[in-house]
Amino acid sequence: MAFIKLNDLEIEVEDGTNIVEAARQHGIEVPHYCYHPGLSRPANCRMCLIDLYLRSSEMPERQLATGCTTTVRSAPPERKLDGKYDVIVRTDSPRVIKAREDILEFLLVHHPLDCAVCDQAGECDLQDFSYRHGHDKSRYLEVKNVPPKKDLGPDILLYSTRCIVCTRCIRFCDEVSGSGELGLINRGSHDEIDIPRSHEGVPIQLLDNKLAGNVVDICPVGALISKDFLFKSRPWFMKKQNSICSGCSVGCNITVEYKEDGLYRIKPRFHEDINQHWMCDDGRLGYHYVNSDDRLQLPLKRVDGELATTQWSDALSLITERISEVEAEEIVVIGSAQGTNEDNYVLQQFAHDVLKTTQLGLFGQQPGEEHKFPQFTIEADKNPNTAGARTVLGSANGNTVLEGDALWEKVADAKVVYLISGVPERSLESTEKEALEKVNFLIVQDILHSEVAELADVVLPGTTFAEKDGTFTNSTGWVQRIRKTIDPPGEAQADWEITQQLAKQLGGEIDYHFAGEIAIAISENVQGYDDATHQNIGDAGVKLD
Amino acid sequence: MSDEIVQIETPFQFNEENKREFDELIGRYPVKEAAMLPTLHLAQRQEGYITPAVMKYVAELLELSVMKVKDVVTFYPMFFEEPVGKYVIRICHTLPCALRDCKVVLEHLKAKLGTDVASETNLAKGTTDDGKFTLMKVECLASCDVAPVIMVNDDLYKNLTPEKVDELLEQLPN
Repeated sequence: MAFIKLNDLEIEVEDGTNIVEAARQHGIEVPHYCYHPGLSRPANCRMCLIDLYLRSSEMPERQLATGCTTTVRSAPPERKLDGKYDVIVRTDSPRVIKAREDILEFLLVHHPLDCAVCDQAGECDLQDFSYRHGHDKSRYLEVKNVPPKKDLGPDILLYSTRCIVCTRCIRFCDEVSGSGELGLINRGSHDEIDIPRSHEGVPIQLLDNKLAGNVVDICPVGALISKDFLFKSRPWFMKKQNSICSGCSVGCNITVEYKEDGLYRIKPRFHEDINQHWMCDDGRLGYHYVNSDDRLQLPLKRVDGELATTQWSDALSLITERISEVEAEEIVVIGSAQGTNEDNYVLQQFAHDVLKTTQLGLFGQQPGEEHKFPQFTIEADKNPNTAGARTVLGSANGNTVLEGDALWEKVADAKVVYLISGVPERSLESTEKEALEKVNFLIVQDILHSEVAELADVVLPGTTFAEKDGTFTNSTGWVQRIRKTIDPPGEAQADWEITQQLAKQLGGEIDYHFAGEIAIAISENVQGYDDATHQNIGDAGVKLD
Repeated sequence: MSDEIVQIETPFQFNEENKREFDELIGRYPVKEAAMLPTLHLAQRQEGYITPAVMKYVAELLELSVMKVKDVVTFYPMFFEEPVGKYVIRICHTLPCALRDCKVVLEHLKAKLGTDVASETNLAKGTTDDGKFTLMKVECLASCDVAPVIMVNDDLYKNLTPEKVDELLEQLPN
């Protein structure tokens, strides 16, 4: 630990911490643009200048140093300043304040000040720091550079005029995604971010990697813009909810931004051991199915070969009737790797206590491709909760959870199958389709008019990750919380609620009131999940042993 | 978004002589990236200017992204991204040359070649119709004691007057 004097505070920070972070830990803002905790530090924006005292706080010798590259370490006793400090800095001296003002004036020299039409307005570091640390006027009277707006790739636009050339995006592509698509063209005040192009401006390589969306997040100004979000909403009109990405088994921590009419944007949220500051574009842009018009809003039942909407009561009594006609061992219950631990826990309870069947299976998205980057991995397993669903479904005595061909063999022999899908987009393979077609009575709980729902006799409208509370267990054993963000469409319900209603209809005694209650039951009954109550999990997650 | 991407029909590669020279020079640098400038010079000498194919080739040789090469090519005015004349005439127009009447030399060159002065973004403007000459202004050529000076490709010519320019142009092979 190093003992430092920061303004008038005496604080202890860990060795190797830089001044920007040390100040942030104690609620002091050191404005910065080029510095990002997840990237290397070129110290090129000069915004984080601080006053570094070289001898003692009483003596005038000091220098303006960049806070991001000034790291603190505990010094040997003879080199302590004022007899006790390892470092003495001021972030509020007149010199620092003046330096910030002047640097901001420089950064704004070629800036168009087009906040009124800029997507970043409201969450822009240039706006915020100008307001808090800048001049109210510019002395620049000459003509501003007007570099063109550029299309960099499938989802990214560059408004070059707004760029302050902090090079965060370049360093991201070099260091985190390792793809190196971005760089600087031209010289000096004509510097522009760009992808490689021919002299005529035709791209040689596009900004088209699966992590590209992160450059929009780390852009401190409105230069890099996501086409998906462009002109859709002002940031301050959206509400935010912390959740977990359901796109793969990594379990990236995310912030879902939404309004009453649906989801608008997904951004990564820092988690040191899982996703750092980043997330992939599959997860970032993959939320559109939640807002889709194709969502199931009412139960469906097959009438004369066609699926037609019906009432919940009708669908439930039809299911009850058909289930009571068959033997327990003729029923197969299939949970979903897209569902929460809570959904799957209630489902296994339903299977074990009410239906008395031991035939449990697990359904989910087909495996995709694994993508490895220097500092990030996208998993091949495209389900957020395979690990959790497997454990929780198998937690009841003696249940083995069937997957793959073994499952479809059982399904082909079954009379009644209750399958929970919830997979956004999934085609069925021929063996799966043939097996499901053989089932006498197929109950599918899903979110969209999917291929598997098309085969069902009754379809029950379930919910996506954005419409329910619960927990996911990722591939490395982190149990994390998803939170209800928006109301489900129509009469759709959380999957565990539907299962519980079915259980009640069949005379079962499953009676939970909210997902947290189920999590408590899980923590009591599922091995390894002792600490995984919602209260414990919070925003940081709980790592299973 | 237009899906158009540069398709490289004929990939560039060094001829045997340049390949040998590259192999020799790459050994002088601690990391491959450091050999960027001499490699680009070699390539430009062979191809005449830096095409997307050249950038790709150099990037592969030096194990870098294409953007790193583009970055350097656009930084330096000595690399051309469009065709230039067989002889690139660089005329110094900084203070000592200006005091020694480089303007007269420049006007003479313009009249003689029948072309304007190229700009960094428009080399065609300073290139003669027959593609023999490109005329461009440059900053100091570090020869103030013998001002005014011009460079024709890699050679420096000193103490110029319109007469000397005429002589010089005549002795350049076609």
